[in-house]
Amino acid sequence: MSNPVVHIVNLNLQYAGTPVLCNLNWRIYPGEHWVIAGKSGSGKSSLAKAMVKQEKASGEVIFTFDPDNPMPAQAFYVANWYQFANLEGDRNFYYQQRYNKQQQNDTLTVYADLIHFGKKYQLNFQDAEPILQALGFENCRETQLIELSSGEHKKLQLVQALWLRPQLLILDEPYTGLDKRSRKNLNSILDGMANVGTTLVLISNDRNIPDAVNRYAQIEDGQLHPVSDLDEIKQDEERQQKPFPYFLQKAPAVDNDTMIELRNVSVRYGEKQVLKNISWRVQAGEKWLLQGPNGSGKSTLLSLLNGDHPQAYTSAIFLFGNKRGSGESIWDIKQKIGIISPELHWYFDKNATVWHAIASGFYDSIGWFLQVKYEEKKQIEQLLDFFDLLEDKDKLLHTLPLGKQRLALLARTIIKNPQLLILDEPCQGLDRSQTAHFNAVLDELSGYGKTLIYVGHYESQLPACLDNRLVLEKGEVVISEHINRTTVY
Amino acid sequence: MANYFNTLPLREQLEQLSHAEFMETAEFADGVNALKGKKIVIVGAGAQGLNQGLNLRDSGLDISYALRKEAIEQKRDSWKNATDNNFTVGTYDELIPTADLVINLTPDKQHTAVINAVMPLMKQGAALSYSHGFNIVEEGMQIRKDITVLMVAPKCPGSEVRAEYLRGFGVPTLIAVHPENDPEGKGWAYAKAYCVGTGGHHAGVLKSSFVAEVKSDLMGEQTILCGLLQTGSILSFDKMVEKGIDAGYASKLVQYGVEVITEALKHGGVSGMLDRLSNPAKIKAFQISEELKDIMRPLFQKHQDDIMSGEFSKTMMEDWANGDVNLLKWRAETGETAFEKTPAGDVKIGEQEYFDNYVLMVAFVRAGVELAFETMVEAGIKPESAYYESLHETPLIANTIARKKLFEMNRVISDTAEYGCYLFDQACKPLLADFMKKVDTDLVGKNFNEGKDGSVDNVQLVQVNEILRSHPVEVVGVKLRKAMTAMKTIKTV
Repeated sequence: MSNPVVHIVNLNLQYAGTPVLCNLNWRIYPGEHWVIAGKSGSGKSSLAKAMVKQEKASGEVIFTFDPDNPMPAQAFYVANWYQFANLEGDRNFYYQQRYNKQQQNDTLTVYADLIHFGKKYQLNFQDAEPILQALGFENCRETQLIELSSGEHKKLQLVQALWLRPQLLILDEPYTGLDKRSRKNLNSILDGMANVGTTLVLISNDRNIPDAVNRYAQIEDGQLHPVSDLDEIKQDEERQQKPFPYFLQKAPAVDNDTMIELRNVSVRYGEKQVLKNISWRVQAGEKWLLQGPNGSGKSTLLSLLNGDHPQAYTSAIFLFGNKRGSGESIWDIKQKIGIISPELHWYFDKNATVWHAIASGFYDSIGWFLQVKYEEKKQIEQLLDFFDLLEDKDKLLHTLPLGKQRLALLARTIIKNPQLLILDEPCQGLDRSQTAHFNAVLDELSGYGKTLIYVGHYESQLPACLDNRLVLEKGEVVISEHINRTTVY
Repeated sequence: MANYFNTLPLREQLEQLSHAEFMETAEFADGVNALKGKKIVIVGAGAQGLNQGLNLRDSGLDISYALRKEAIEQKRDSWKNATDNNFTVGTYDELIPTADLVINLTPDKQHTAVINAVMPLMKQGAALSYSHGFNIVEEGMQIRKDITVLMVAPKCPGSEVRAEYLRGFGVPTLIAVHPENDPEGKGWAYAKAYCVGTGGHHAGVLKSSFVAEVKSDLMGEQTILCGLLQTGSILSFDKMVEKGIDAGYASKLVQYGVEVITEALKHGGVSGMLDRLSNPAKIKAFQISEELKDIMRPLFQKHQDDIMSGEFSKTMMEDWANGDVNLLKWRAETGETAFEKTPAGDVKIGEQEYFDNYVLMVAFVRAGVELAFETMVEAGIKPESAYYESLHETPLIANTIARKKLFEMNRVISDTAEYGCYLFDQACKPLLADFMKKVDTDLVGKNFNEGKDGSVDNVQLVQVNEILRSHPVEVVGVKLRKAMTAMKTIKTV
């Protein structure tokens, strides 16, 4: 048998004093393509990062690349979370920054960023073109990094990896935030690479993976356990649904029967039309599914509703019965809305503990600054218990596994029992059982007089309560309809 | 126009200088009500103008922008900033006559011209706001007696004013009403409402005066904030290169070190910054900063004296009138230093390494912060004001150095700060020549702890800690930082 491409010997890794990987051994032979799946927090991302030396671990990781293969003899890791800096190395951004226009351009354009990447690895730009096409990213060239949505950031990371075509490619949750077409095209490109000698390692609980994948494993007790197929992967146990906190069993007061009304709303940045003649009415109690490919304008539309977008002031937008710009503050609006989005998560205060993050939901702040009342403290405790986060409440939010971070932010979203919930891919980063749990929570919650706008790319992972659907394409409404559980969408 | 401060009798000078009252949250219970429904016109749409306007509009206020005709016709950046964010934009003639409140957020140097153009257009009984009092105090601008004159000065760059607001917070802010111009007694109500509209009331507000703001602001910016950080950076870099440290490493240590070190200052004050050093290094930093304070004290006093007498603003305005000859010469020199011309090396420097290998900068910062604070307080400025203009702003300037080094730092700070910074730097470098001869790489460039066993004398350490922690800047700092509960960590490296 030939040498393994990857040979890991006795890998040990600790996180904040707790062992994550314990004497982990693993060999990946040429022709093998692996999926690592399983519970969140089991050490999947830590293993990937240790392999490429992004996390400190003891033990050996030996790569043996094929000298006769023209593909770059290197391991390349695509993280589950993106990171970018402005031209001066600054990484301090706030999540609404992409809607505030300012004349000095702070970050690179997508094109400039790709050129930079291509130079570093001596790549031909022509080779990137088909990948940009396949991922539906060809229109983003002149977009600044700060302006990208989370799905588009993910695509940029993937474009770089696929363009480089390394001999070993490690992808951590590559499907997060990608639309359906891009997921499919990504898999066929990965299959193509596997055919000519790239070894694939995917970290994902997704079922739609490249055909080339022929090995499966999970991490248990800090060690790698190969299994024969995906059905053998242990997921977190179905959660016991705890009794619903009483304070969420009350229907919040509703200000107006028409919660949201947009009349012919358009948003344009220079030459780029982001939204075109959007008319949309959301009645109190309706549960809307909002769909569309990455870049179709979903985030921009939601930012108009949440008071985050300056163009709301000059458009015909009515929120809770009042026209935008009639003297209300954005805090008056946010007070009525519970919101979560990948961007809000990404830009969340790094100094916030889980408890502070949830408490900040009462005041719609990022992090926590105000006095929390006794009653509110009790409610926070109840939600911590409800989401099984009690033992994590004093930990810094960003040090938890992604799935748990998401749960904490979901708790933040509903803590004030708002009349309108705006959930932009709320289950991103959750594993299947966490997703099922959250959707069950949502179905129950929505029984108590809530109005809901829900963005989700995964048809199989939607809550049952949705009763209407709006689909955007290239900034325009292409479908607006009633749906029920039997509708195919 | 006569220097306003110099026209006042001594008791009035002292009275206005000592205005500094930390305001309770309850004083902002009225929110933005005093300005609700009023027409607010902002003049200038740069970093402060645009970002304050975005905040005020998001707080439910009616905001539009008045720009000069040429800026509109030529579609300059200020015009684009305002129109891209969907604000109404018009000329002075179109918008000023409708305004209940005119907010002047143009650069200091343009104030006289702007006010002369705007004032005749303002309606009877309107209000005029500044975010820096130079025009009123030093240039002695006289405002029509029916107009209310106030100040709202966020103590952060415009981008931070916006970012903190959107987090649901704000930045520390200083507010004031000019005693010569409050005919209807509405000045404070307007200033408070405006402050709430920017989010400032969440982060600690200081009730000040135009005089106190100007005299402390000028002192802080030219001594510790910009002047000493520049002098210390250049001397440190040159010393390392002289002693054979790799120039790329030296450049990186200096460019980013000042930000890492003052980040500790921001969270824990001067003592918090020194606590990041090992015990022997802390004692060393204490000793050399004591020495630095002795050497530099006369220079700090001269700057404060010239600011109080109006000598500083007089010479600066002469330079303005003379086509900025001195300013441009000094600016060019700053662009030519070896530090400026040496790019940061591609080496990794750990966070702790920035302290251990740059004890000299810790000493510079302690000496500068304490000296600026002491000198201001001795001159009649209240500790609260002195804190904001020394310790509080140091990390903000350090951040601009980390981003763009000294030349660009000087370009982004105010006109007065840039001029004062060069003035200080020119005088300070020769003053420190003898001191620097004794400095070796254990203080800058290499790990101070290397080859030492880490032992110190108990009594000596206790004494040093006691002196550091009981300094008045630490006492007032503990109180003020409590109001800024959620200061954000700034990171460039």
